[in-house]
Amino acid sequence: MIDQTFSFEFLSNYLIIGAALMALGMLGFLSRRNLIVMFLSAEMMLQGVALTLVGFSRFHGNWTGQIFTIVMLTVAASEAALALALILVLFNRIQSLDVTLWQGLRETGLPETVDAGEAEPYDPIPGPESYPHLTPSGVEPPHPRQPWEQRRG
Amino acid sequence: MSLLDTRDLGLIAAIVALGWVGVWLLLPHRHGGVKTARVYGVGALLCGIALLMILPFLTPPGDLLVGGFFYAFSTLALVGAVLMITSRNPVNSALWFAVVVLSSSGLFLLAGAQFLAAGTVIVYAGAIIVTFLFVIMLAQSHGQAVYDRAARRPLAASLTGMLLLGALLASIVATGTSPRAEGETPLSSSSITTAARPMDDPVALVVSQAVPETSRLPGLREPGETPAHVAGLGGSLFTDHLLTVQVVGLLLFVALIGAVAIATPKAPVRPDRSTATASPGPAA
Repeated sequence: MIDQTFSFEFLSNYLIIGAALMALGMLGFLSRRNLIVMFLSAEMMLQGVALTLVGFSRFHGNWTGQIFTIVMLTVAASEAALALALILVLFNRIQSLDVTLWQGLRETGLPETVDAGEAEPYDPIPGPESYPHLTPSGVEPPHPRQPWEQRRG
Repeated sequence: MSLLDTRDLGLIAAIVALGWVGVWLLLPHRHGGVKTARVYGVGALLCGIALLMILPFLTPPGDLLVGGFFYAFSTLALVGAVLMITSRNPVNSALWFAVVVLSSSGLFLLAGAQFLAAGTVIVYAGAIIVTFLFVIMLAQSHGQAVYDRAARRPLAASLTGMLLLGALLASIVATGTSPRAEGETPLSSSSITTAARPMDDPVALVVSQAVPETSRLPGLREPGETPAHVAGLGGSLFTDHLLTVQVVGLLLFVALIGAVAIATPKAPVRPDRSTATASPGPAA
């Protein structure tokens, strides 16, 4: 009943291919400047880990690795949805997908990786920043809405 | 005492060095400069040699047909990965990523994960790639942008990636070739552990307790009998991991709400307009 055909040599096939995908994904994430290509590289790292998990699942003879991969697929799908939404917001803000324009988000005291002369120039929209808010739905209640301060007191 | 023999170590060092130079030549120039076709040719040649040197570490599985498909899928996955991270056009990157996903789902199929192969094709190559292409087309700039033609420190980045690859390769190969007693495997498979040891053995007892009957892969059947692949996966998913399914469903729901809340287009707040009309804030 036990599947003896998947020995360690076949497992190491999957481990090697998965490791190569992981390393190449990290290389792309480190070296590319386009936000979308960076995100695709991160997805490719996940794909390498999925190969490793499926190989281990077959090697150990249980479903756990495949179930972990299903969970990973789901997390990758949610992550893709959220990250693409964030990329859209960032693109609407500065009309560019260049990641080096967001170097202001780095930790204090670190130098810039690419000097500002090489990055694309951008003119910020004046005024206060707008943040995402949930779309109001349903019928407006008849009573006038009161701010939180008054209701609390 | 060395864990790797000289041939393996030399192969891994050569893969790291050739891959480093090859990927560096294929990546965009650091300041967006133009590279000639000869540079790309040399880079592709070096990357191809490095790829060919990975192949001796692989063991051909099964008969000729399975082995041929395995080598085809793994070569296609690695070539697609290199082309994805080096192509100038993000649309090409997304399409090469689709190639990587399709060939790795072929590898899933060879490892006996039918449902995952189908699911990966549907979710990744279907849904996620289409979403990526939508975003790329929305954010399309005229001509090639400077951030697509320039890489961020390509020499150091490719050295880092290739060193990671070399370290992972060395550890995997060293595990396989480490000296061991006769009949001993480098890693003990849990199914073989439970089958080989008597039931009162403490290790077999712990393993059989940790892995319930529903989560074991179906064994080899008589020829002509179909093993319950998807049914077994569903049985394990909905008995042993029922809470996981619900948590993951909740995660998808929250991500849906978050994506709608974030990506809804809003007019930027400008100082020359009154903010009361722009935002549906509290009615005065």
